[in-house]
Amino acid sequence: MKKLADGDRSAFRPVFELLLEPTLRLCQGMLKNEADSADAAQLAMTKILERASDYDPARPALPWALAIAGWECRTIQRARSRRRETLEDVGPEAADGVTEDDFITRQLSAAAVAAMGELTQADQDVLRATFWDCAADVSGATLRKRRERAIQRLQKAFRRLYGLG
Amino acid sequence: MDSVDLDQLCRKARVAYEWSRLRRALIGFAPALVVAAGASWLGGKPLASAPFGLGFFLAGVIALWYGREPRRAVLPGIVAGLFPVVLTLAAMHIGHLCLGARCTSVCMAACVAGGIGAGLAVDIVGVRKGYRPLYWITASALVLCTGSMGCACLGYGGLVGLVAGYGMGVLPGVALCGIRR
Repeated sequence: MKKLADGDRSAFRPVFELLLEPTLRLCQGMLKNEADSADAAQLAMTKILERASDYDPARPALPWALAIAGWECRTIQRARSRRRETLEDVGPEAADGVTEDDFITRQLSAAAVAAMGELTQADQDVLRATFWDCAADVSGATLRKRRERAIQRLQKAFRRLYGLG
Repeated sequence: MDSVDLDQLCRKARVAYEWSRLRRALIGFAPALVVAAGASWLGGKPLASAPFGLGFFLAGVIALWYGREPRRAVLPGIVAGLFPVVLTLAAMHIGHLCLGARCTSVCMAACVAGGIGAGLAVDIVGVRKGYRPLYWITASALVLCTGSMGCACLGYGGLVGLVAGYGMGVLPGVALCGIRR
């Protein structure tokens, strides 16, 4: 880190590799969520290396780097708690012990159902039969082709409605 | 995070690192613009001095951004570069020195003497610390750009005088460092 602070670019990759593991572990410990901790670790690594020139060689590098990572984690925690407060304001259902992940899953399911409503009855029947794993009026290759086409149309409808897919 | 992600993240972090260094270099060297503007204005020929001022600023920013020995050459380079500027500006106010019937411009002498002084100042720091060639190159670029802002008002003669003086001043230090290696 001292070399990097001085401008020695050959130290960049080794510093990156040495700091990644402890940073990721700290983020996992603080956030208890795989996706959030990966995001926080990425942000933290960028911030640490962005501020590498500010590093004071008289101080130990790891606590300095982890302090930046900890700050990033707290920022994400604060953002998460703010989002949760917003969700609680959405309605009694959300406030009733529903986690943020549950809420997102529900939203996505509702979006998928809405997109399915855009399909023809035949497509809907094929997808329902696939979901419930029950017999349709056709079987084998025909069912597979119909299912493939229905899924493609569902993806198109989802993309058209939500810009995702 | 898989290896592709890691490579991407490493690249992103590297870009952030370089931008941060550049930003710091620009902010850190901004006060030197005052030196450049002051020297150009006091020299009386701002248009002649402006290219050297720009060169001085660019050299300083690049040195600070790069770091290592060029960064360590910035302060000695600026301070040493002020010798010929101050001497030349002072000499311009004196004008000519007349000894009997013969009058000579002291400006040229000031450029040469300032150059020698600057070279010796760069020597002292470089030899004491045992710096490598990048220090000498950066310090020389900064001294010559700074000094030229003062000596440019004398035309090419002033610049030649500065370079010659600086060469005389800096050579012993460069030779000493070369011998040590």
